[in-house]
Amino acid sequence: MIELGHFAAFLALAAALAQGLFGLTGQRRMAGLAAYAGLAVMTVSFLTLIVAFARSDFSVALVANNSHTLKPMLYKIAGAWGNHEGSMALWCLVTLGFGAAGALWMRTGRDLFEARALGIQGLLAVGALAYLLFASSPFLRLDPAPFQGAGLNPLLQDPALSFHPPMLYLGYVGYSFVFALAAAGMMEARIDSVWAREARRWSLAAFIPLTLGIALGSYWAYYELGWGGWWFWDPVENASLMPWLIGAALLHSIVVTEKREGFGAWSALLAVLAFLFSIMGAFLVRSGILTSVHAFAVDPERGMLLLLGLLTYGGFALGLFALRAPKLSGGKPWDLLSREGALMANNVVLVVAALTVLLGTLFPLMAEAAGRTISVGEPYFNLTFTPMLAVLLAILPVVQAWAWGKADLKTWSKWAIGGGVLALVFMALGVGVWDISIGAALGLALGVWLVFGALWELKRRAITPGRIFRLPPRVWGMTLAHIGLGLFVIGAVVETTGRYETTVALAEGGSGTVAGWTLTLDQVRSIEGPNWYADRAQLTATRGRDRAVMAPMKRYYPAAQMPTTETAIHKTGTGDLYAALGEQRMVDGEPRWVFRVYYNPLIDMIYFGVILMALGGAFSLWPRRKA
Amino acid sequence: MKQLVFILMSLLLAGLAAAEDVALENPQQEARAQALMRELRCVACENEPISQSAAPIAEDMRARVRVMIEGGASDDEVRDWFEARYGEFVLFRPKAEGVTGWLLWGGPFLLLLLGILIGIRIARSRKATVEPVQPEDA
Repeated sequence: MIELGHFAAFLALAAALAQGLFGLTGQRRMAGLAAYAGLAVMTVSFLTLIVAFARSDFSVALVANNSHTLKPMLYKIAGAWGNHEGSMALWCLVTLGFGAAGALWMRTGRDLFEARALGIQGLLAVGALAYLLFASSPFLRLDPAPFQGAGLNPLLQDPALSFHPPMLYLGYVGYSFVFALAAAGMMEARIDSVWAREARRWSLAAFIPLTLGIALGSYWAYYELGWGGWWFWDPVENASLMPWLIGAALLHSIVVTEKREGFGAWSALLAVLAFLFSIMGAFLVRSGILTSVHAFAVDPERGMLLLLGLLTYGGFALGLFALRAPKLSGGKPWDLLSREGALMANNVVLVVAALTVLLGTLFPLMAEAAGRTISVGEPYFNLTFTPMLAVLLAILPVVQAWAWGKADLKTWSKWAIGGGVLALVFMALGVGVWDISIGAALGLALGVWLVFGALWELKRRAITPGRIFRLPPRVWGMTLAHIGLGLFVIGAVVETTGRYETTVALAEGGSGTVAGWTLTLDQVRSIEGPNWYADRAQLTATRGRDRAVMAPMKRYYPAAQMPTTETAIHKTGTGDLYAALGEQRMVDGEPRWVFRVYYNPLIDMIYFGVILMALGGAFSLWPRRKA
Repeated sequence: MKQLVFILMSLLLAGLAAAEDVALENPQQEARAQALMRELRCVACENEPISQSAAPIAEDMRARVRVMIEGGASDDEVRDWFEARYGEFVLFRPKAEGVTGWLLWGGPFLLLLLGILIGIRIARSRKATVEPVQPEDA
């Protein structure tokens, strides 16, 4: 069975090669057919892999190394991409998928351009497939087949983590097609509004799943790792944040190219960089050059190959860029204080923010080469990345109303006074009423400012209230995304500055007080799951009339010989009461269970904000209604 | 003999437990201690602060932070103590010292400045008579 998949993957390689050749020789229709064929055979190939996992066919080495008969079916299937080889197969599938989608949905009326974009996408697929088949094949047999598999990393046995990799890959690999569009546009030195209209849709198609994928990963880390936090500035997380920031910059720059034919070279460069950062993410995660808590499938040799791919694609695209950029037109003229100027500021900050993340992530390596071992973590990013973005967000509500070419600055003073008053009110409330730091108060003011600014802009665009629902979908998209950003800021500020954490040691029947809640330990029982056993505590949490039963668990997976924490979360409406079960200890002569207990205020607003951003992206993708 | 060992072990564990992960009485001191725990690296783990590591050494380090804070040490004194003991590696907030330190802390702001200057230059070089166009359909 798996041999069929192996063979199909070779067919996919042939199809991708054909797609590349037809495409680059300008045969749009043939390249499209090759793209469909490539997707079809790769789907078959990937399905054989899933079937092998679902049937626990341990004669396949990958299944034997990463699965187990006792795993629930969902995780058997998700196991197909929960490892290096399988995830590369998914990468190939998505690359070919975007090629086929492009062949189906590209509508520029420029045959040569579209053919070339498909051709380049085909070559990107050739690279990915060659890497899959010759450096990390998931199709190898094992002889003799073992009776039992080694099991999936238990941390990955989780619903959010089952869908996190496919989402993230739709994002990462989605940018491969944006890359292809940019390269094809540069080949004919025509990065204009037609190009931008097409590339913008595909940038959104990558940005939306990337956003959701990052959110899923973060939510997983929040409840599965058991440390109460939602973002750890870990190299693996940073690797996904960098393409996201570049992608966000691209979405803003490409509007200038679409509406004013400006920033053409810059948009093309960002389009290229978004994909290069995505591959670099894969390289950083898979090569093991950075230490990370959740790096998996580390192999330096594969890392070298990924680096080689990165340098090849990067060299090709940036070389092409250097040749063609001087030939691209500059678009309509504009003042520094204009919509173009504002979007340029957005791009400068987002790109520098991405470079800051890169610097902070790679710096320990560079410093080590210079003979100094240092660590870069949360405090660094909070002092560099965060203030930069805060300044950008602070100007957003003001500049988003600016006109193309030249801004009308008549309302400038009103905005300045409004913003100043808002900041002062929040500072006064923060110090006098809420008892929080000035920084936290300003952060809250910023979030409110963003939400207000987004709504104000919606009102301004609509002119009369009745027209609000007749506005184009992309105006709604922008509004939702900016409201989401504001809610995210509020959630992040409240959660980070207002979170409460503590440790309590409870005997059975004993109780303790945490953040106004009384926690009583009813009992701790040993239970057994399909492929794990666990100590499961039952806590009753009460506060006034609120009452909740929480059951945090400490699981042990014998196949992988690994413990995991299963946290218990009680949603109070305004925050999460969060408990993780620790060890049993002797305290004052009696055995007690140690719990780490957190109160995370407004944490859901962080995720709600991010989901709104993705939803805004979806609205922006919606075609304009015909008038 | 076995019983004696068991009793001794229990006593030892009980003694350790007294220092383990128990919040300080004073909430302000506890908040400071927790902030510090988030910026000290667990020396036996892969890129984790001691605030979120289950490793025994992280537990000892947390206890140490609390003891020092309770004893009236300032944040910097705690950082210095850990740095003297484990090296600069232990600080997630690297010092802005030496060429590397300045490069790390100054780099982002230098890049930002550079970006702004380039942006202004581009805008200046394009200056012409400009007609404003409302973004109504954008």
